Amino acid sequence: MNEVVDIGFWSLTAAYLMLIVPLSILFYMRVPIIKETCWSLLRMTLQLLFVGFYLQVVFRLNNLWLNMGWLLAMVGVADVSILRGCHFDLRRFAMAMFVALFAGTLIPLLAFTGVLIDRPNLLDAQYVIPLAGMVLGNCLRADIIGLKNFYEGIKKSEKAYNQSLAQGASLREALHPYFRDALHAALLPTVASMATIGLVSLPGMMTGVILGGADPLTAIKYQIAIMIAIYTGTALTVFLAIRLTTNNSFTHYGLLDHAIFKGRAKISG
Amino acid sequence: MMNTGYDIEINGLGVRHNNSWVLRGFDLKVLPGEKVALSGPSGSGKSTVLKCVMGLVEPQEGSISVQGRALNAHSIWSLRHQLAYVAQEPDLGTGTPRQALESAFAYKANVGLRDNLKKLPVLAERFKLSESLLDKESVSLSGGEKQRFALVAALLLERPIILLDEVSSALDKVNKQVVVDFIQEAVDTTVVSVAHDPDWLSFAERVVHLDIKANIPEVSDE
Repeated sequence: MNEVVDIGFWSLTAAYLMLIVPLSILFYMRVPIIKETCWSLLRMTLQLLFVGFYLQVVFRLNNLWLNMGWLLAMVGVADVSILRGCHFDLRRFAMAMFVALFAGTLIPLLAFTGVLIDRPNLLDAQYVIPLAGMVLGNCLRADIIGLKNFYEGIKKSEKAYNQSLAQGASLREALHPYFRDALHAALLPTVASMATIGLVSLPGMMTGVILGGADPLTAIKYQIAIMIAIYTGTALTVFLAIRLTTNNSFTHYGLLDHAIFKGRAKISG
Repeated sequence: MMNTGYDIEINGLGVRHNNSWVLRGFDLKVLPGEKVALSGPSGSGKSTVLKCVMGLVEPQEGSISVQGRALNAHSIWSLRHQLAYVAQEPDLGTGTPRQALESAFAYKANVGLRDNLKKLPVLAERFKLSESLLDKESVSLSGGEKQRFALVAALLLERPIILLDEVSSALDKVNKQVVVDFIQEAVDTTVVSVAHDPDWLSFAERVVHLDIKANIPEVSDE
């Protein structure tokens, strides 16, 4: 198999020229997203340039602590973006979410690099950084769905929730139906994508491995392994995210503390 | 706290909501088996009293004890096993009334009461709830049907103290009388009910009137 062909500077510039096509359509149809498109293109270019140079250094050094630091930083960024996306009180949930994301990413990742591809260096940059990015990205999406579903679900049917407390449920028993539904909702997209994978589109990882010059059969083995890692990671992270945040979001009487919803603090009466 | 012989004892209860007092300086003593009605204009905090006893609202002031035990964050979990509560507009959750009724018996605290479910057909008939309604989706039920199912759920748990919040609000005259008769027959059960409807007040041995002005001092001490 061939090694991946690098794209030259001028070739990449030519790729930007291709943008004339969509921009002309937008201009012709007077679709008001030309400015946003340009801004997004600029951001994409700068962010990827930064990551490209940074990763070059990380890969060259391939230092355990540096890789671990990169992983922690990615988890930190994911943590903040989840809580912002859900409008939750950052200070209350940040620690619990960090643990949930870190465990959800690291555990399947170590199984991948340690057992599956048996790397002597468990945190080998070449594997850890792209794989962690994929698992973490999915954990992030699943946590957003799971947390939103769980807390909004209780808020929406607070009367029924309170009634279960009134009927003598323990906190765990009262939370169980909402916990179950939230896990279900959070895992559904991964389950659905496992069922259609390969039919609708070639997944990014497989494409990458093929472009890298590997045999398609190697590529699918990687894809199967990463799907299992993602499913394991998302189940683990959503379970932990909900389980750990509940310690901090219900009163001693078992009532939902509305102060967790940022900017919408209200005591029900 | 010493057992004072009261089923419910409330002293100086105060609840604040959005920086204003919904209820303040409220006292109530209810003997075992007594049927008490709370009446008063809306906004006088009647429902809030019941929610405080149930631990569904945490008061800022005052104390509550149930069967001689002080209500606090620790005791509330077992005190709820002595209490049953029917909300003003009950939400039976998703699914059917049968599922809602059965779910309560899956809780560890109620597992021993599972046999009470055998009384469901008799109770449902008494409250004029047909068998077919039990397996309809709860969301499709009328307000009155939901209230009667919530009442059946509360009665099946056989708690010594029952708190009813405006249970008559969606019931017609016939159904109201059925419920009133039932409560009057339950001699040993302590009932505290919120109502402002004269038919409903008839069952009460004692009516406690709440007034907005009487409860909330003009000058706030905050």
